Amino acid sequence: MHVVIVGNGIAGMEAALAVRARQPGWDITIVSEESDHLLARTALMYVFTGQMRAVDIEPLERDAYVRHRLRRVRGRAIGIDTAKKRLRLAGETTSLDYDRLLVACGSRPRPGPWPGAELRGVGSFVTMSDLAWLEREARGDAPLVDVPAGDARSPYARRAAAATTRGHHATKPVVIGGGLIGIEVAEILAAEKLAPRFVMRDEWFWPMALDAREAGWIAEHMRAHGVQVELEADVVRLDGDAHGLVTHVVTKDARHEADVVVVAIGVVPNTDWLDGALPLEPKSGAIVVDEGLATSVPDVFAAGDCAGVRWWDGTVRPEQLWYTARDQGRIAGARLAGESAMYARGTWYNSAKLFDVEYTTVGRVGADLPAERTLFLEERGAVRSTVRLVSSEERFVGANLLGRRWDHSVLAEWIDEGRTLDWVISHLLEASFDTELVPPLRAARQAWAES
Amino acid sequence: MDLQGQNGLDHPWREAWRSRGGLAIPIALGLTLFYLALYFEDDFQSSLGFRPITPIATALHLEDRWYLYGLLYCVAMIGGAVRYLRHHGNSRYHQVRISVNVGIQVLLGFTLPFVMHLFGERDLYFSYLWPLKIENFYPQDLAHYPAYFAVYSLIASLVLTPILTLRFGKRWYCSWICGCGGLANTFGDPWRHLTSKSTKSWRFERVSVHTVMVLAVVTTLIVALDFFIGAEVGWLHVAASPVRRVYGMVVGAILAGVVGVGFYPLFGPRLWCRNFCPMAAMLGLIQKAGRFRIRVKKDMCISCGNCSSYCEMGIDVRAYAEKNESFTRASCVGCGMCAHVCPRGVLKLENAPSGGARKLRLAVLPS
Repeated sequence: MHVVIVGNGIAGMEAALAVRARQPGWDITIVSEESDHLLARTALMYVFTGQMRAVDIEPLERDAYVRHRLRRVRGRAIGIDTAKKRLRLAGETTSLDYDRLLVACGSRPRPGPWPGAELRGVGSFVTMSDLAWLEREARGDAPLVDVPAGDARSPYARRAAAATTRGHHATKPVVIGGGLIGIEVAEILAAEKLAPRFVMRDEWFWPMALDAREAGWIAEHMRAHGVQVELEADVVRLDGDAHGLVTHVVTKDARHEADVVVVAIGVVPNTDWLDGALPLEPKSGAIVVDEGLATSVPDVFAAGDCAGVRWWDGTVRPEQLWYTARDQGRIAGARLAGESAMYARGTWYNSAKLFDVEYTTVGRVGADLPAERTLFLEERGAVRSTVRLVSSEERFVGANLLGRRWDHSVLAEWIDEGRTLDWVISHLLEASFDTELVPPLRAARQAWAES
Repeated sequence: MDLQGQNGLDHPWREAWRSRGGLAIPIALGLTLFYLALYFEDDFQSSLGFRPITPIATALHLEDRWYLYGLLYCVAMIGGAVRYLRHHGNSRYHQVRISVNVGIQVLLGFTLPFVMHLFGERDLYFSYLWPLKIENFYPQDLAHYPAYFAVYSLIASLVLTPILTLRFGKRWYCSWICGCGGLANTFGDPWRHLTSKSTKSWRFERVSVHTVMVLAVVTTLIVALDFFIGAEVGWLHVAASPVRRVYGMVVGAILAGVVGVGFYPLFGPRLWCRNFCPMAAMLGLIQKAGRFRIRVKKDMCISCGNCSSYCEMGIDVRAYAEKNESFTRASCVGCGMCAHVCPRGVLKLENAPSGGARKLRLAVLPS
C-alpha cells in the first residue's frame, strides 16, 4: 500500500506519523516544495530576529524521516489524475502513483488586490522564502536562511529584494493588514528599530477578535514600541519608480513613503494547482471534506489549512490554525491507515501574543448573539489586563482575555456547561494559568462593567 | 505583559560571542585557563616555578586564592544577575528566584565564611550540601568542624533535601540556592540556548550523571569506612586516600570547574549540572517521585520551539507540549525559562496538588 502526502507541514507530518504507527509495512511518501524538514512557520518571526535558528523551529530531529521510514520527494505538485490515482509533479520526480492520497498543502499568502502589488519590494511573511526575502530587505546583510530558486509562481521560490537593486536596506517599511501576521511583522521590524508603518483598513486593530477598548490598548502598546499605527487607511495602490521598485503606499487619505511593503491580509487555501481535480468550496477555495476529512474522490483526503471543515455556525471554511492542522493530520492519518475517525473541533479558542501582551480567546465573542450581555474588567496595577465575558440568554458563551495567562480548556468547559456570568466571575481564578508568584487577579463585583 | 512572559525579543544567534563565534572562543579559553590555574596552582608552581593566582589574592590582602575566587564568583553572579534582570526582570518568578540565589551566594557562599575566618573560626559553607560538597560527609573532615555543622550537614542532606525536593522539585536547590546553578543562571545565562537538545546528548547525560552519582556514594563510603575501620582493613586504608584524591580532582576540579564553567560559551551553562553533578542526579530521582511538574495547556502549542531552544538542561520541552503531556523530567532545574519564553502561555511550573487534580481556587470577591 502506498500513501502519498502532499505537504510537509504539521498536518502532513502528523498524518504520516499516524499512518506509520498503525501500518509499519506501508510505503509513505511526503511531497514538499518548501522544505526537506517539517518547520513551524508560526515561528518565522523568531528566526528573523535571531532568537532562534532556522533549525530550531523544526519540531522533529532531522533523522525522523529515516527513523519512521518516510520517503521524501522535493518538488511542486501540479495536478492529480484521480482516475489513474496518480499525482503529477514538477521536479526530478514527475509523477507518483498512490493508493491513498492526502492533500495537506496548506495556505498561501493572499496577494494584495491593488495596482502595484507586484512591484519589487512587496512581499508577504508566510513561507521560508518570505523570511529570506525580508531579511535581505530589512537588514541587507547575509540572510540567516536561504531557499532554492524554485518556480517563480510559487510562494516558496526565492525572490529578489528591492534592497539589492537600491543598494541599501529598507528604512521605511510598511506593513499592510491588521491581523496576526501583520502585528508579528510590525514587532520584528520595530525590534530592528525600523519604526514600521502599520496600515490597516479598519477602525481599530483586529476587529475580528478585539473590541475598541482592547484594540486601543494594543495600539497604544505598539506606538510605545515605535510602530506608526495608521487606522482606517484603505490602501488604493502602490507606487513604484522607474526600476520597478516600490516607493509609496497610497491610501485613500495619504501617500506614505515605503521601501519595503509586507502584505499581511490573510492567507488562502493553496489549492489553485488542483485545477478541478477535487471539489472546492467556492468562496474560500478550500477542499470540501466530510467529517472524516475524506473528499468526494475515492481514497483522497484533505487536512490542514487547505481543507474546508464545518464550523460551529454551520458554514464550511478552512481553519487556518496550527493545532487544528495537527488535529486534522492525526485524524486524516487514522483514515489513511484504514481506521474510521471523525474530526470534531469543539468550542472555538485561540491565543496569540500581541507584542508583549498575551491574548486568549474562547467561544463566541463579538458574534452578535441573541440576548447578549457583556461584562468587562480592566485591571491596572502591577499587572495590566482585561477580561471580557460574554453571555447569551443567560449562558456563558465566550471570553476575550488580555495581559494574563488563562487555561482556555477550563473556560471552554464552562461554556459547554452553560454557566452564568456570575458563576464564571466567582470561579474565574480556577482558569488562571499565570506563572508562579504573579499575584492573582482580584476584583470587586462592581469593578466589572456591564457593556 | 507584566510580571510574566518574555518582553521584547532576544537575538543570540546574531551575536557572535553568544553563538560560538567571535569572542566565544577567547572567553572559553580564558575561563578554562583560569580554572586550571586555580585548581592546579601547585602543579604550576612545581613545573613553571610560579603561582598564577595567589599573588593577586595576597596583593588584595586576601588570605588565599580561594577567597579571591569567592569574591570573583560573587562579582560574576551579581554582574550576570543585573544583565539577566534587564532581560527577564519583568517576570516576578525570575526577580525573586535570581535575587534569592545571588543573595544566598553572597551571604552564605562568601561573606559568612569570610567573616567567620576573620574572627578566627573555622569557615563554614552552609549552602553547599553533600553529595555536591562531598567533604561534608567525610568523617575525617567533619572531625575538624564544630559538631553542630556535622549535624547540620547530615540533616540537610538526608532529611531536609528529600522533603523539600518532594514538595518543590529539585529547583529549590538547583535554581534557588546552589552556587553552581546560580553562576550558570546569571553569568552563564547569555549562552543558555547552546545546550544540546539532541537525543544523543540525552543518552550521554543519563549515563554520565548517574555514574558520577554512584561514584560519589562509593567514594564517600570508602573514605568513611576508612575512618571507622581502616585500621583493621588494610586495603581500605590503602585505597581511601587515592580514591578521594582522584574523585576530588576529576569531579570537583575538572568537571565542575574547568569543563563546567570553562565551556559555558560553547555548550551552554549547565554542562556540569546536567551531565556530572551527583547532587543533581540524586535530586532528579527524588523529583520524579515528587509534586513538581511542568503543566501543559491542552492543544495550544504552536511548536515554535522557544521552550526547547531556551532550556538550559537540553530538555525537548516542545515535544511534551505538542503531546499535551504535563511532565516531570529528572533533569529539570525549574529555572522557569520555558514558561517565560512561550508565546502562547502553554507551560506552567507548579507543585501539583497531590492527586494531580485541578487546583480549586475560589476567588474571594467582596462585593
